[in-house]
Amino acid sequence: MELIANLAHGFGVALTLNNLLFCLIGCIIGTAIGVLPGIGPVATISLLLPITFGQPATTAIIMLAGIYYGAQYGGSTTAILLNLPGEVSSVVTTLEGYKMARRGRAGAALTIAAVGSFFAGCVSTVLVAASGPLLTSVALSFGPADYFSLMLLGLIISAVLAQGSVVKSIGMVVFGVALGLVGTDVQTGQQRFTFGIPELSDGIGFVSIAMGMFGIAEIILNLEKPEARTVMSGKVGSLMMTREEVRRSIPAVLRGTAVGSLLGILPGGGAALASFGSYMMERKVSKGRHEFGTGAIEGVAGPEAANNAASQTSFIPLLTLGIPANAVMALMVGALIIQGIQPGPRMVEAQPDLFWGLIASMWVGNLMLLVINLPMIGIWVKLLAVPYRHMYPAILIFCAIGVYSLSNNVFDVYQTVFFGLFGYLCSKLRLEPAPMLIGFVLGPMMEEHLRRAMLLSRGDVMVFVQRPISATMLAIGAIALIAMLMPNIRKGKDKALQE
Amino acid sequence: MKLNSKDLISAALLIGLAAIGLWLNQDHNLGTARRMGPGYMPMLVFWLQIILGGIVLFFGLFNGPDPLDDWTPAEIGFLIGGAVAGIAAGMIAARIPGFPSAGWNALGIGMFVGCLVAAVPPGWRALFLPSAAFTLFGLALEPLGIIVAIIITVICSALADQEHLDRPLGLAGLCAFLSALCWAIFIYYLDIRVPLWPQL
Repeated sequence: MELIANLAHGFGVALTLNNLLFCLIGCIIGTAIGVLPGIGPVATISLLLPITFGQPATTAIIMLAGIYYGAQYGGSTTAILLNLPGEVSSVVTTLEGYKMARRGRAGAALTIAAVGSFFAGCVSTVLVAASGPLLTSVALSFGPADYFSLMLLGLIISAVLAQGSVVKSIGMVVFGVALGLVGTDVQTGQQRFTFGIPELSDGIGFVSIAMGMFGIAEIILNLEKPEARTVMSGKVGSLMMTREEVRRSIPAVLRGTAVGSLLGILPGGGAALASFGSYMMERKVSKGRHEFGTGAIEGVAGPEAANNAASQTSFIPLLTLGIPANAVMALMVGALIIQGIQPGPRMVEAQPDLFWGLIASMWVGNLMLLVINLPMIGIWVKLLAVPYRHMYPAILIFCAIGVYSLSNNVFDVYQTVFFGLFGYLCSKLRLEPAPMLIGFVLGPMMEEHLRRAMLLSRGDVMVFVQRPISATMLAIGAIALIAMLMPNIRKGKDKALQE
Repeated sequence: MKLNSKDLISAALLIGLAAIGLWLNQDHNLGTARRMGPGYMPMLVFWLQIILGGIVLFFGLFNGPDPLDDWTPAEIGFLIGGAVAGIAAGMIAARIPGFPSAGWNALGIGMFVGCLVAAVPPGWRALFLPSAAFTLFGLALEPLGIIVAIIITVICSALADQEHLDRPLGLAGLCAFLSALCWAIFIYYLDIRVPLWPQL
């Protein structure tokens, strides 16, 4: 079996001392930021991007991935114990998890959250490994027109699934694409929109945008609202689950894994969407649905499995097609490009260490997280005693040094402040920053493919509907857009995202 | 008519930025659909952005009301004052030979002054003090070294939270801790090329 040989190769890469160490660091940081409200994976990963440059690409990506799925584990802890979601993806866990804690079953809720996540992590690791080469061989037959349409579809769906108004989100995507055009035109070498600033000739700094709009803007928004910290009252209790709880959790975990894996692959999807989707499903189909609202274990098991599965399967479009499904994956593209690797279907062939090493590291990381989380839960809860006023100066300093060290240029620091203020303005106007970041990353690639496609078709736009792959993508995109214009579907989405 | 002010301002922002983009794009050769020049894709993107902005604008006339937070007269005044002071400070700094006009320092000085002036009303402190602190770091890093830069940045950003001012010892501890941590990570381990202490 080629798959097994490849996975063995991957484990060989993931189990080297350096990679194990960075996987562990990523998982620990991920758990920490998952526990702490007020700092999410996007901000953390952009914060730590500069630190990873000294490492080989594989090590860097292994660590950054660890942060993302580690945050899914950590987020559940505070959600269950304190009714405080550490991440967006654990908002639904508070609904049933905290009720369970009030009933004295906090230990069982934490156990099923961790074990369910671990199970989902194992399944989705295999899924990524199996679908990777498959999708890659399909992707290699893609022409420029197909690529353009695929990226367009990704942008449309990421805007459609974003919170709030679809038109505004698409507006932000388009603005992101426009920002991506700043810099030297690849084909003619002409400077575009650089105002004669040499620092802009390579384009606007990706890290500056991510840190500004997600790091600094988030600090400002957190400082504006008064700090609300609840103190944990009850005890964690026994971590053991009763036989009844085990019996009820198993189908929920299975369903959660399936829902999460699917919603993770979807462009614009990811952990948050997956946990919402799974919660909705459990409330409709699980045996314990009449107990929802009083602490049903299915409401913890399903969403927690789903968000972890999704955080891993969202790597599939990135690793096989080079297309980021969400803001975290957009950061991964940034990390790869800075390391000199162009994400795309050729990555599996050209970078087997990275591809298989990352997959193997996901499984290793999940094992680590199980150990980090369950027995050491008390330590993580103590993290919450750190007040935000001690955290934000540290985040600011790390952002500042990180962004400066990219090219040892203070211009990047000022640029970051600018995007911080812009990000604040956007959040006040309910303009979503995540679609903009995805647009920014995909913009230059889309221009390349558009130009190539039009050159090949001799200027005939019909090429986008004549090629079957491209036409399918455009059709799906159009359906998604039209569906969102239907009032009842839109209301359903708003409801799902707000709960 | 139920005006949605958030949507109307968003629309103005989208349309305005796209209009500026289109105006700047006049310098670039459009080419043809077959052989696209550097200006072709920007033209498509900005027109699309204007259309989307127009749609947001149209619906913003009806789907409100969704007002912005109320601004006090002082907040509006100091916001404008900050912008004016910042531009003025930047332009003056650019004319002073030596440190103020070297490299990007004039930009940094302008931004720092602007943020500080705008941070005078309490409602703006959470917004502009961290921004000012971040800018200050950029200004201080190369001449004063990373340790001094960290300390003054932490102090400047700490002003945004009243509790810090009540507990100066905790703040001092935070400065010491962050200096040590950043030295260990960035200087000792990553070995980034920045001065550690002030450059005489």
